[in-house]
Amino acid sequence: MTPDAGGEGDPEQRVRIRLRAPVAGAAASAPDPGPEGPRPFVLTAGRVASADPAIGLETQVTAEPGASDDEVALLPPELQAIIALCAEPISVAEISARTRLHFGVTRVLVGDLRAAGHLEVHLGPGDGASDPELILRVIDGLRAIS
Amino acid sequence: MDSVRSPDWPAAPLGGLAANSAAARYGTPSGPAPAVGRAQPPHPAEPAYPPAHPPAPPAPVAGPRPEAHPGRRAAPPVPVKILIAGGFGVGKTTTVGAISEIAPLTTEAEMTSAGIGIDDPGARSAKTTTTVAMDFGCVTIDRSLKLYLFGTPGQARFGFMWDDLARGALGALVVVDSSRLDDCYPVVDYFEQAGLPFVVGVNAFDGRLALDLDAIRWALAIGEHVPLVRFDARDRLSVRDTLLVVLDRALQRATRDRGA
Ligand SMILES: Nc1nc2c(ncn2[C@@H]2O[C@H](COP(=O)(O)OP(=O)(O)OP(=O)(O)O)[C@@H](O)[C@H]2O)c(=O)[nH]1
Ligand SMILES: [Mg+2]
Repeated sequence: MTPDAGGEGDPEQRVRIRLRAPVAGAAASAPDPGPEGPRPFVLTAGRVASADPAIGLETQVTAEPGASDDEVALLPPELQAIIALCAEPISVAEISARTRLHFGVTRVLVGDLRAAGHLEVHLGPGDGASDPELILRVIDGLRAIS
Repeated sequence: MDSVRSPDWPAAPLGGLAANSAAARYGTPSGPAPAVGRAQPPHPAEPAYPPAHPPAPPAPVAGPRPEAHPGRRAAPPVPVKILIAGGFGVGKTTTVGAISEIAPLTTEAEMTSAGIGIDDPGARSAKTTTTVAMDFGCVTIDRSLKLYLFGTPGQARFGFMWDDLARGALGALVVVDSSRLDDCYPVVDYFEQAGLPFVVGVNAFDGRLALDLDAIRWALAIGEHVPLVRFDARDRLSVRDTLLVVLDRALQRATRDRGA
């Protein structure tokens, strides 16, 4: 949807290079990043503001079934963890909660992983808030709670 | 603290509901489950997702979570959301936990506060970036529809994040504590400007209100069109009924917009 900041050329190539490079750099210059180390920022290279605004907290994400395990194994652990969470449909908010990455960071990484072909981001047909049928279904569903 | 933890739900509190409605909708009392990559979406609102991979063969019925199969999964549900907003300690997390089928999870976000001196008196008054924790929970409406509830702080104007939160939301419940009304002014203003349907819910801590509802309406300067209800954030049915008021407003807006 929204192109990533500075993105031209083959998206897959670009994303793969970017995701790999910072990890090597981080390992060389910061031998002990620790669990709360600089990685989320490194991983996103500060691109939080350029995240795709169509990806919301509730947006559903699934792992791309065709993605190769070998390729996934080369990714930084944070990204592997995200892909693993997406074996079942999951919201971006829940990915953020379970990885303890900030929402803004999570959104960028999910966008990257989609561009690299690892994740499918299910941007629905649009505005459920303006669909009376959908709202009626929610009303019926809530009424059934006891 | 302990008293408002959501009750210990059975493993799948709404499993019965979800199973029932799925059976009702797809009419498969026995035999193979509806194919996960079904050809016929049950509802026209089902999004046209990107090209599907070859659908897996129908999986055998295996309990209330048919999507828990390896291989090609069920299409994800269409997510809808309602915001639960309000100041510090008014009962947002309690509200979410009372009705969510999962224990509330927390996500953190950077919020840029356009502080206009509404935040904590004495604290920073300049524009700041703060990390804000949002709790959320969910309710499975049926196989293809899931309601998310986001508890979001409302005591200051957190521009960018609120826009993210409000985008596509069905509506909002503004939770207020009758003894600290001013905490909720910014969020009431925001929802009014954004045109988001909202309801003000007074969390009646231990059944007591510091002010009666008329006085609260007056103090908040909300119009007659904004429902003002009293509820108990710890009580599932009370929260359910309050959310139904929000949805009623959402439905009014949607039908009006459609007619226009
Ligand atoms: N007695 C009583 N206590 C309540 C009620 N609702 C919430 N509480 C308590 O009030 C405190 C705050 O409730 P929370 O649900 O955490 O409020 P919150 O809005 O999420 O708070 P923050 O996220 O910290 O801003 C908790 O200790 C709750 O136990 C209520 O209806 N009655
Ligand atoms: Mg809270």
